[in-house]
Amino acid sequence: MDFITGVYLFFIFVSLYVSFLFILIYFKNRDDLYKYELMKKLPSISVLIPAYNEEESIKETIESVKNLEYPKELIEIIAVNDGSKDRTLEILKSINGIKILSKENSGKADSLNKALEIAKGEIIAINDADSFPEKDAFLKMVYYFKDEKVGAVTGSVFVKNRNNLLEKLQSIEYMMIAFGRKLFEYIDSVFVTPGALSMYRKSALMEVKGFDSNNLTEDIEIAWNLLSKLYKVKMCLAAKTYTIVPSNFKLWWRQRLRWDIGGFQTLNKYKHAMFRNKYGVLGGFVVPFFSSYVLLSFIGFFISLFMIARRITVEGFSFYNSYFNDADLFRIEEFHLIPNVFTFFGIFLFFVFLTYTAIGLKMVNKEKQNIGKTNMLIYLLFYLMLTPILLIHSIYRMLIGKLQW
Amino acid sequence: MVMQKDVFWKAGLFTLVVFISGVLLGYFLESNRVDEIREEYRNVETQWADAKIQSSFYQLMTPSFCEESIKENLNFADRVYREGLKLEEYEQSNRITKEILYDKERYVLLKLEFWINSVYLKDKCKTNYTNLIYFYAQNPSLEQKGEQDSQALILKDLKNKHGAELMLIPLPIDLNIATISILRDAYNIDDVPALLINEKIKLDGVQSIEEIENVIKDGM
Repeated sequence: MDFITGVYLFFIFVSLYVSFLFILIYFKNRDDLYKYELMKKLPSISVLIPAYNEEESIKETIESVKNLEYPKELIEIIAVNDGSKDRTLEILKSINGIKILSKENSGKADSLNKALEIAKGEIIAINDADSFPEKDAFLKMVYYFKDEKVGAVTGSVFVKNRNNLLEKLQSIEYMMIAFGRKLFEYIDSVFVTPGALSMYRKSALMEVKGFDSNNLTEDIEIAWNLLSKLYKVKMCLAAKTYTIVPSNFKLWWRQRLRWDIGGFQTLNKYKHAMFRNKYGVLGGFVVPFFSSYVLLSFIGFFISLFMIARRITVEGFSFYNSYFNDADLFRIEEFHLIPNVFTFFGIFLFFVFLTYTAIGLKMVNKEKQNIGKTNMLIYLLFYLMLTPILLIHSIYRMLIGKLQW
Repeated sequence: MVMQKDVFWKAGLFTLVVFISGVLLGYFLESNRVDEIREEYRNVETQWADAKIQSSFYQLMTPSFCEESIKENLNFADRVYREGLKLEEYEQSNRITKEILYDKERYVLLKLEFWINSVYLKDKCKTNYTNLIYFYAQNPSLEQKGEQDSQALILKDLKNKHGAELMLIPLPIDLNIATISILRDAYNIDDVPALLINEKIKLDGVQSIEEIENVIKDGM
């Protein structure tokens, strides 16, 4: 057995483990995915809405928050204008019943920390300026805070703008993320509390000293921080919000670079927790899982790149020689599929992944959004394949120290 | 809700079962293929022994031994060639069992013996079939691999065109076989692919059908 075969088998083993883990979690909990309860005594909530150049969506966002089914006297809305250069501040000033915090541009995490200083609610809700929660979202989420160990709760984030192909692909992705995140919840490993819709126990936030303004993804970092203090992070699949996603490839790529680099920063910050009991599930699962994910993606990408480059080089020489010797350049009968160990695993894993995606979409796509078979195929065969390339680009950006957006 | 820790070891158990089953299945499949090819070798070896005895018999007992021996030799040549192609395919698809290399060395020895017999028959019987030895590398560089892929296709077409008139014998030059080393030195084969036509003309690099046919024609 050669080295490459060994690496492939290792990949297969890890892929099988992760697949079985998620399948088992799903089958064990499939009847409870949407389960939630309503709280009799509701806590007060401060909704923080950080905004930087959000003139197009800020008004609608605040309106949707004001229209939430939650006692008005228990909700405080704090909008933070993070040095916007457009009409955001002007629009905010025209809206009644909200607190406005306006400051120089210093980033989202710092904006949230500033708002946190004046927030009075027992629960802090973060709602991005381009996200629109469903009316009952907060009611469904707050119940989780009955458990004193719960430090944060997040909801399902769906795509609002589903017009072009890229937006539709992101829509599929967001549904799968929501499904996957809910499954992670059953092993207490929700590793991100997205800014589109998340709630935190204020005392927990104060204990971890708020959001890390040096991290590009404060929503990942805060979740890991809470986990490291042995708080639980929960996910309410039934609580939904709709967010605006990048409409063109360039913006999408930049967003994903930011996510990846923020993820690396977080991984680096909490690497000391690896396999250490005192950090609970963060050390026992989250850090090892993501370290393995990054490592395997990295190795997998370079091995694939090596194999593809090797194949192209060989085919190039063969093509060149065949061309100049009047031989066929391509012959279909030369391709024989003789099954080996990878054929079985490849087919098995492909069907497992296909089934997982089908189940995920069936469970999450309750509104019966028209996904389209072609979009689904593009998502599975091309969109997901960009992940390792993004990882490599992110690592490159980190290595050259280019972290600004 | 209590964290569901049991799923971790259950997933591990499922993974182990499926992984080990898959590896065993792959191993079983590859072993079967190795067994199949070994069985083929045994048949070829038996046939070869039979062909050699027939050849000796015809030489001793009948005046027309040439015709019969050559017929046997040509049949055998076709079979060796077909088995060779099958072996290459199997070898490339096997991922776990690499023990096929030992069998390949035996197979190459058999081909060498067969070639020498062909040379003898040609000389003795003054026949006009062509011996074409194709030298290739078992572990080629990327450039060599590309050239070999191209040359192999060309030779396959040539063989299909000329059938039994052409004895095509592919020989890997980088196996640890002393006779191969002697051949390399004798014919000055430094690089692959290389062709040796009727033990006289050596061609380096990829050759087209037309070039090979011209050389064969000129050499006759």
